[in-house]
Amino acid sequence: MRFRFLIFLILSFSSSSYSQSTNCAANCTCAITGTIVDGQTNEPIEFASLQIKGTAKGTTTNAEGYFEFTGLCETEVDLLISHIGYKPITHHHDIFHEEPIVKLAPDNLILESIVIEEESDVSAFKSNTAVKIEGRELEQIKSASLGNVLSSVAGVSTLSTGSNVTKPIIHGLHSNRILIINNGLRHESQDWGQEHAPEIDASLIDEIEVIKGAAAVKYGPNALGGVILVNPPEMELTSHLHGDVHLKGESNGRAIDGSILLQKGYGNFAWMAQGATRYQGDLEAPDYQLTNTGMREMSGAIGLRFHRKNWDMKSYFSFLHQELGILRGSITGNIEDLADAINDEVPDFTRGFSYDINSPKQVTEHAVFKTEAFYNFTNSQLGLTYGLQMNNRKEFDVRRGSNNETPSINLELTTHTLDVEWWHPIVNDWEGSIGMQWLYQDNNNIPGTNTIPFIPNYNNTRFGLFLTETRPLGNNYQFDIGIRYDIQLASFRGRDSSNDIFRNEQNFNSVSGIIGLSRTMSNGGIIRVNAATAWRPPNIAELYSFGKHQFTNEYGFYRYSLEGTTLSTDRVLDNNDLEVSNELGYKLIATYTYSNDRFQIEASPYLNMINNYIYKAPGGISGTVRGTLPLFIYKQTDAVFTGADVTIKYKHTDRLSSKVSGTFLYTKDIKNDDVLFNIPPNRLSYQLGYRTKIGEYEWSAAADVSYTFRQYNAPRVIAPEVFVENPDYNPFLDNNSNFDFTEAPDGYALLNLSSALSLRQWVFSVRVLNALNTSYRQYTNLIRYFADEQGINFEVGVQLKL
Amino acid sequence: MKYLNIFMLALLIGFTSCDDDDAPAAENEEEVIDNVILTFTPAGSSAPVVVSAIDPDGDGAADFTTPSITLSTDETYTLTLSVNNIAEGEDITAEIREEDEEHMFFFEFTSGLFADPAGNGNVDSRDGAVNYDASENDAAGYPLGLTTVWQTAATAQSGTFRIILKHQPDIKSATSTAQDGESDIDLEFDITIN
Repeated sequence: MRFRFLIFLILSFSSSSYSQSTNCAANCTCAITGTIVDGQTNEPIEFASLQIKGTAKGTTTNAEGYFEFTGLCETEVDLLISHIGYKPITHHHDIFHEEPIVKLAPDNLILESIVIEEESDVSAFKSNTAVKIEGRELEQIKSASLGNVLSSVAGVSTLSTGSNVTKPIIHGLHSNRILIINNGLRHESQDWGQEHAPEIDASLIDEIEVIKGAAAVKYGPNALGGVILVNPPEMELTSHLHGDVHLKGESNGRAIDGSILLQKGYGNFAWMAQGATRYQGDLEAPDYQLTNTGMREMSGAIGLRFHRKNWDMKSYFSFLHQELGILRGSITGNIEDLADAINDEVPDFTRGFSYDINSPKQVTEHAVFKTEAFYNFTNSQLGLTYGLQMNNRKEFDVRRGSNNETPSINLELTTHTLDVEWWHPIVNDWEGSIGMQWLYQDNNNIPGTNTIPFIPNYNNTRFGLFLTETRPLGNNYQFDIGIRYDIQLASFRGRDSSNDIFRNEQNFNSVSGIIGLSRTMSNGGIIRVNAATAWRPPNIAELYSFGKHQFTNEYGFYRYSLEGTTLSTDRVLDNNDLEVSNELGYKLIATYTYSNDRFQIEASPYLNMINNYIYKAPGGISGTVRGTLPLFIYKQTDAVFTGADVTIKYKHTDRLSSKVSGTFLYTKDIKNDDVLFNIPPNRLSYQLGYRTKIGEYEWSAAADVSYTFRQYNAPRVIAPEVFVENPDYNPFLDNNSNFDFTEAPDGYALLNLSSALSLRQWVFSVRVLNALNTSYRQYTNLIRYFADEQGINFEVGVQLKL
Repeated sequence: MKYLNIFMLALLIGFTSCDDDDAPAAENEEEVIDNVILTFTPAGSSAPVVVSAIDPDGDGAADFTTPSITLSTDETYTLTLSVNNIAEGEDITAEIREEDEEHMFFFEFTSGLFADPAGNGNVDSRDGAVNYDASENDAAGYPLGLTTVWQTAATAQSGTFRIILKHQPDIKSATSTAQDGESDIDLEFDITIN
């Protein structure tokens, strides 16, 4: 395990194999170019030999590991690639994939040789800022939850709610403002609360890519912050049976975590199977146990790939079952209990360690079935993808009597998606694709919760059309342009507080666009600039949520009305009473990347203006028989998010390297001249890595220090005691600005240590997280009202390549 | 643009042949306590004093109403509490009695209202005097408080009377206080003794 540099998308501006003259097969002018490197060190391999199967055509690589074939009459070939001392590999290649990078594994390792294709095709735009984590770097952090894995990318922090729910934040935006594309499909789940984690098992992921720029044009609504692409292992058509097994133990939560992957290819057919599980008990803060923060996760996936000439078809099925405990001490009865809980040194209900998960908890299941097919015409390609996702979410609250076993929220969401994309022939240097996306969703409450539905039943139908184009301008410039139109029909059916049915229908539609330019400098650095728009229709919870959810009472736009300062919730509003507009984001982002063999820098400043920004914030209190409850309502305003991410890497020697990264973010409600609630604070981190090789052993170690600043830009504080002493207190009487129940937590420094030893097919790893056992609270985690974050955690892992 | 919209809508409707319009099933809102009835039964022959606190919309934002309580001086009353969900016609009292090891009522009142118990109740401090009916104690011998006994002061008084029902699963003990666990009920009444 070594600290390989992140692979930034170094885009090829040379004429790629795709940009070949039309119909090269007819006049035998097809060409293939690519690079061959050592799979361990990424050093180029010279004199590797390549042969086209079934022909006498062969070539070798030059000192840069570069090879090329010209004058081919076929668009699809099998390449036989070999070099003495390395494992040979057979790769099925078609000319529609950009230059393949072949990573050969040394003979004495069980590591497989692999081919990476399509390095630059993913966001369709050259001017986008994208970061990739894959291979060893990903393996080190794999068994953490997806959110945690992503936080190792500069500019991506995490938002947690509870100890096991972590989700990515890109440029200050999170939850349903970040689109997750899981294996090519929009991940669709009940993602309307910030305490809802993406139902994706990080152990099954082989590669993650984060697009911080604008990819909304290609992927559709919700991508205001960015897009995260997660992919399973690629199924190589020609390979023997191989895979790997991971096992890991952790001291904090006394967790055990394991995963297995197997795959094999038969020339025209390949399969893959994966399974993973995690069993974790209560986590521990430095000074006390975090009762009821256990977790169970089980997941599995099966993939099949069929290949015929010009046809490539892949089918996947995956399933995940997750049970997450929520800190018992975070559930309070009323504002007085909340005040007690906030001021308590040790959270209420704290007990000794246990593996039990009681209420409050969430149980979610997510199943995905997907089939995609690509057909290669002589100079264009057509892709069809159908996806079916089924999501079930049960949330258990602390309730009386037999209701404790009854979920208070039980929803089933079925989503069908159909994507069609056609990569058209290159016309006058314009390269691009045109596509359409159709989505149909059906969400139903499953009866038997014994409580008024928090979320109504709803149906969504969405249709989108897009066009993305890119072309070189002169030698050093690349120009991108894209446009998209979406229309969404939504119908809602719910119950009001007197159990009467209400119905509503709404249409949303919007145009999004992108325009961008990238320039390659004479020193090899690249500057990318793009301006893009993105949109998001208001989601179901923002419109219709109603009632108690964890320790708050929440009301969506259509479920409450304010007359003066009196809040009433007995009537359900509709479109005639109130128009809730789409969120519209306008984002300008610039990125400078430069690297030489010792030094790498990436800096990206951005400005994101979001009109009609929807957020949830404390809205006062309401009286009930339980006492007064903190009340959260949804608000809509115009906001600005601006900041910068910077990463610098430096190789001191071949063995020693440093990495510094920092994120800075400033936000403001520009409509009301106010601060926003729950915005991630700034962070700086430094990592020192060392690696060495002794014979067959490879040893690496790293120390990672990060400092997270106090959120200087936090709302005013009204302590719950104020409401306790004066139940009629109106927080907005003479000051309309947002407030919070506590101060933002202090800044904190964390130290993580890690070390790994690899020998042939074995990798042994040891990690210590929060090595100084620092007590700290995260501003973006609402558990900060009640408890500290996790303390020290020792992890021991072993990985075996099969 | 307008024509494009119409075209798209037509496409959508074409695509969405299987639109359903089912509403969620009606659910019994069993959870919410929307009514608490206090019955003060005097030892003497006068009629019981009954006071009912109502929250018309449960989890909605409207506040509940608490009428004031008027008791006679120098009288011993037995207070029985009845906890209900009017919306569903449900009596929650039995459920609380069943789960007596997880529930406990706490009382807070203006000093001087009662000759017995003296003091201001057991919300500030668990040791404050409250006359619980010992026959209701849970298996561990800790009080529940659905039934309590109150002897009013000999002279006219006025003040407030607060009732808190705490839900304390695995917490209830000889020393657990009104600050532990969650509040199922927290009501304050104006009270007059004359």
